[in-house]
Amino acid sequence: MSSVIKNVASIAMDQDLDLMLRVRAGDSASFEELLRRYRVPLVSYFRRMLRDPALAEDLAQEAFLRVYKARARYRPDARFTTWLYRIATNLALNAIRDRKEISPAGGNESSDGEAELLPVVDSKPTVEQLLIESHRVWLIRDAIQALPENQRIAVILHKYQELDYGQIAKILGVSVSAVKSLFFRAYESLRVRLEPLLKGGLI
Amino acid sequence: MSCTEREKLFGYAQRLLEPREEHEVRAHLESCPTCRAAAEEYRKVDTLLEEWTPLEPSPSFDARVREAVEPSGASRSLLGLFGFPGLRWMAPALVTVLVVVAFVAVLHVRHGRRAAHAPAQASSMPAAPDAPSAPPTETMGGEEEVKLYQNLFMLEDYDLLAEFDLLSELPKGETKVDN
Repeated sequence: MSSVIKNVASIAMDQDLDLMLRVRAGDSASFEELLRRYRVPLVSYFRRMLRDPALAEDLAQEAFLRVYKARARYRPDARFTTWLYRIATNLALNAIRDRKEISPAGGNESSDGEAELLPVVDSKPTVEQLLIESHRVWLIRDAIQALPENQRIAVILHKYQELDYGQIAKILGVSVSAVKSLFFRAYESLRVRLEPLLKGGLI
Repeated sequence: MSCTEREKLFGYAQRLLEPREEHEVRAHLESCPTCRAAAEEYRKVDTLLEEWTPLEPSPSFDARVREAVEPSGASRSLLGLFGFPGLRWMAPALVTVLVVVAFVAVLHVRHGRRAAHAPAQASSMPAAPDAPSAPPTETMGGEEEVKLYQNLFMLEDYDLLAEFDLLSELPKGETKVDN
C-alpha cells in the first residue's frame, strides 16, 4: 500500500507528466517545453545506441513526432520518461534490426535474442571521429556499443538517461532483478573492455 | 559472503544492497584484497563512463521537429505573428469561420442588390421575360456599373475604335457613341 502511495506521489511530482497532459489538452507551448527539455537527452540516447549520428537525429525527431501523434492516447499511468524512452527504445531496436537485415554479417544474434559480444575494438577510429571525440571517449563508446542490446539499453538508460531499474524493467518488459543482472553483466564486460584505461591510471 | 558472489559485490559498489547485506560485504572486503580491488574497479568503470558527455543535436534539429509536427507551419506563423502561440491549435477552426463569414457577407451583398434591382426590371420588361436584359439605369445600381454596361459594346471593339481616326477628333470627355 505504501509503495502505491509513493508511486502516486512520484507521479504527482512529475512535471513532465503535467506538461504532457497539457499537450494532450492542445497546449503547443508545453510541447515546445518538452522539446527543449528532451532534445539533448533523446539525441544523446540514440547516438549512444547507434553508430550513425545522422540516423540518431532522424530517430530522435521521429520519437518527438510519435509523442505528439500519441498525445490524445496518453495516459498518466507511468512516469513520462518511462513512456518516452519506451518509444525511443522501440525505434532504436527497430533501426538496429533493420540494419542487421540489410547487412547480416554485422549482427551476431544468439539464440536468446541477445547479440554476442563483439570484438573490443571492431574498427579503428577515423580521423573525423577523433576530431569530434577524444580517443578515450571513442574507446568508451566502442565498449558500450559492443554490448548486447539489452545490456547496452540498461547501461545507457541508467547511467546516462538517469532512469531507475524499475523504469528500465518496464521498458524492457522484464523484472527488476533481471535488469540488475543485465547491469552486472554489462559492467563485467566493460571492466574487461576498458582495462587499458582502468589500468593506465588515467582515472 | 564468498568471493564467487560477484553480483552482490557489484550491488555493493552500486549501493544497491540492503543494510544487512551491505554490512556483510563490507566485512568480507576487509579480509579480501581481490574483492576489494574488484569493487574498486566497478566504481572506476562508473567514473569512466561519465566522460562520455551528452551530445548536442545539430542546429537544424528543433526546426525539423517542428516541421514534422506541423508540416505546413501556416497556422504557427499566422497566430505566432499576433503573439498568441497558444492559439495555434485553433487556427483551422478560425480560418473556417473567416471563410464562412466572408461567404455569407458576399451572399448578403448580392442578395441586397438583386432585391433592389427586381422592381425596376419588372417595370421595364413586363411583356418579354426572355428578352435580353435592358441596360441598367441609375436606380438599378452604382453609377460606374451603369456606365460600364452602356459602353460594353464599345469596350469589346476597343482595338478597332482605338485605330478609328475620327475618334481622335472628338473633344475630350465625349465618349458617348450613338447606335
